[in-house]
Amino acid sequence: MYLCYQSQRSVSVRTDTGIVTSVTRAWPKLQIVAGAPQPESRDLLQIRTGPCPKGGVVLSPYGLDIVESCLTCKMRSERIFCDLPTAALESFEAIKYATAYPKGAVLFVEGQAPRGIFVLCKGRVKLSICATDGKTLILKIAEPGEVLGLSATVSGKPYELTAETIDPCQVNFVKREDFLRFLREHSDACFKVAEQLSEKYNNACHEVRSLGLSHSAGEKLAKLLLEWSSRNGEAAKQEPRLKLALTHEEIAQMIGTSRETVTRLFADLKKRQIIQAKGSTLVVRNKVALKTMATNG
Amino acid sequence: MESAIQQSCLNCTLRPDRLFCDLPSSVLQALDTMKQTLSCPRNTILFREGQAARGVFILCEGRAKLSVCSESGKRLILRIAVPGEVLGLSATLTGTAHEVTAELLDNARVVLVKRKDLLRFLREHREACLHVVTLLSQNLHVAYDRVRSVGLGRARRSRPAHA
Repeated sequence: MYLCYQSQRSVSVRTDTGIVTSVTRAWPKLQIVAGAPQPESRDLLQIRTGPCPKGGVVLSPYGLDIVESCLTCKMRSERIFCDLPTAALESFEAIKYATAYPKGAVLFVEGQAPRGIFVLCKGRVKLSICATDGKTLILKIAEPGEVLGLSATVSGKPYELTAETIDPCQVNFVKREDFLRFLREHSDACFKVAEQLSEKYNNACHEVRSLGLSHSAGEKLAKLLLEWSSRNGEAAKQEPRLKLALTHEEIAQMIGTSRETVTRLFADLKKRQIIQAKGSTLVVRNKVALKTMATNG
Repeated sequence: MESAIQQSCLNCTLRPDRLFCDLPSSVLQALDTMKQTLSCPRNTILFREGQAARGVFILCEGRAKLSVCSESGKRLILRIAVPGEVLGLSATLTGTAHEVTAELLDNARVVLVKRKDLLRFLREHREACLHVVTLLSQNLHVAYDRVRSVGLGRARRSRPAHA
């Protein structure tokens, strides 16, 4: 298949064997960088599909399959904000910009005046706050379906967090003025925004409790591992598995401790056979011991 | 002991100063029909952390302490709510248990709106829903500030001035 996308800032030209090179888009003119294969057409206004040209070239931003229209998105019904009536979705379509970002892109920075909201369609985003000395605390790893920059956009106050992609992401961006008008016109969307904000508030309270009332780094790490292991239908299992998607440094930033402490705690958990590492997968061998650690520190 | 008293939001002189309450007359009339006004003495616990949310409490007079508690009983105050605030909003909207405990610091007058009534009210009155969204955004900013001070042990980093 051969796909052309219109709404990303840059795209990658990919073959069956992997990414060949990147193509930077400077609308309305497409600029081909570093000898990338010439697209079938320079007009990237439509998604085009067809038989793969000779050489097996696929045009796709960062290897993502971009969903251009919310109306045809299959994931819509599973996501709180996106599951809107058709009329509201059509209005949303008119104001959104579908964009793709590579891993490591910063969507917005703490302290920046709010430009608008970012609906995360694909990929994950790290939400963090930072002290003046550079110490970082990761508040959450946002999953697809979440709306980022919501409270700042609604209140007009600066973004409270920094949002950085940890995977290639598809994000639908909506400008602040457009979004506020959209909320005034569509009560269903307004209600869903209230629900999202409520969830974020609950999460922030949970974070305050975890950071302010946990006695030790061990207790916080045990709580984090139990939380992660309760996802993806693993909660009921005797020995739940979890995929460690973060580095020790990032886990340290989630529980407000140092990288060295996290590495030492993991070594201790392995030695006591509470957890077992199989590549990036972690198996909780002794859930009871981990729960005791989470309660007693 | 809580005692019920009657008062219409339409006659409240403080209404224009309060974010949630500053609603058109028709919306306030609808709120009047579903609300229950209570007079509560200081130290009354409006709701406890972990308790299922039965509705919201609009603080008309008096202050309330919002706190979280560890398993060992250690308590951390999140913030002090002042008159005009709507307490228990996030748990009521999501239908989850309260994340905080709300305890009155003064003799207070509060308005209780049951969950079912509030959800219907917000769906029917867009203005009220927009006010709730603004309130939640403000609450979230305060909560993030608290996360920052507890987690990083420092005040908010300085921000560039903007127009």
